[in-house]
Amino acid sequence: MRPSTAPRHKLVVAHPERKAQRALQRLVGATLCPVEVVADVEALLAAVDRNTIAVVDSQFAQQRADLLAHDACAWIAVPGEGLAPADGNATATLLAAGWSHVVAHPVPLLSEELLATVQKLIRRDAFGLEKYMVWGAEVRSYTLDDARDRDAAVAELAKDVVAVGLPDRVGSLVSVIADELIANAIYAAPIDETGARFRAHEPRDHARALTGRDLVTVRWATDARYLAIEVRDQWGSIDAGAIAKRIAEGDKHVGDEGGGMGLPLAYACCNQFVIDCEPKKMTEVITLLDVRYKPTELGRFASFHSFMQESS
Amino acid sequence: MIALRIGRLDIQLVAGTPNRITLVGRIDDSTNFAELQRQIPPGEVAIDTGGVTFINSIGMREWMRLLRGLRDRGVTLERVADVLMTQMNMIKESATGTRIVSFHAQYACPKCGAETAPLVDAVAHAQLLRQMQVPRLPCPECGSAMELGDFPERYLTIFRSP
Repeated sequence: MRPSTAPRHKLVVAHPERKAQRALQRLVGATLCPVEVVADVEALLAAVDRNTIAVVDSQFAQQRADLLAHDACAWIAVPGEGLAPADGNATATLLAAGWSHVVAHPVPLLSEELLATVQKLIRRDAFGLEKYMVWGAEVRSYTLDDARDRDAAVAELAKDVVAVGLPDRVGSLVSVIADELIANAIYAAPIDETGARFRAHEPRDHARALTGRDLVTVRWATDARYLAIEVRDQWGSIDAGAIAKRIAEGDKHVGDEGGGMGLPLAYACCNQFVIDCEPKKMTEVITLLDVRYKPTELGRFASFHSFMQESS
Repeated sequence: MIALRIGRLDIQLVAGTPNRITLVGRIDDSTNFAELQRQIPPGEVAIDTGGVTFINSIGMREWMRLLRGLRDRGVTLERVADVLMTQMNMIKESATGTRIVSFHAQYACPKCGAETAPLVDAVAHAQLLRQMQVPRLPCPECGSAMELGDFPERYLTIFRSP
């Protein structure tokens, strides 16, 4: 008799609280990978190797700036004591320090988000909003034919969202998020051979066919837990680290002539912000809005995840 | 009265003390407030943004430019739209040289679950707002006292004492 899958990774959970350790162990244990639980940073460092996905209490993550210097498959920061929401400063501090995965919300969002994050890393399968939806959720897709289709796509999406019974508040957030993600895909994603973003200052009212590498698709779905919006381009040129730093810096760059505040604004409007990128091939940004809970029951700032997928 | 259309934004300007500006529509890539600024007579300005339905990052840049350009003469903001209020609260500079007299905020009814964005009188409730609290307002559906439906920081940071 042989098991259907053999684990490829090891998971390490580092948290000072026994109750949180148990919860996190069960969560990531659902991957069927071996899980080692440790209670302090020294034990964490001893347990981590290049095949390890480390799930780390955000207090530990903030206390030890050198953690990321240690080789691991991925480092994921999770909320601190009692699995309460992460405080805003913690999220900004970790993003500024270069963390690619910062979970901001308490259970049950943490459970859903953490398992999806870990499985995306283990399976090396980053793309697609389906990973965040329950099986029955219908996905609607729009392909933009022209750069000037942005407004129509945003309007259509907002109309769809209100039509499924979600409140105007969500429709309003969706409009801002979709507008910024689509603008990013149309104007910021294209790069030339030197890496320059040659369409960044293109007038926004000019017609341009979106074909070939300029193709932009928008998809969305809801399963009554989350509303997910996904915008994809064919460039794979996003600088996730720079975006994380901009988010961490808050309003420092608002009003800059160079712009660059679109994705931080989309981040500010959602509960989970996910960047999936296959360099030189494709970028997708997924935002998740929780539609179950009052915003005040969640983390004040969104979770952030950046997945870099090697070329197939 | 002067009526302007800038991009997707309809603007009415009525000269007086203060000069009154009403904005209705979207503040986005198509908005450039330079023409409006040229047309405003000297003196204080009151801007009603209750009809603003959308603002993106480029629109916010334009909005901040407008406020910077007017702040020396004194700017009062009336009926600040919910979409604008949440973004202004993310930018410390928004509080400089502007006075908000009323704004829309997302409220939720704990009894019937209704969500709505009523107008909050920022003058009558100034003390409460400085303490990062909002007045409880009646639910339009069931009459129960509604609560703020979001983090106070998203609406009230701008009122916080420096």
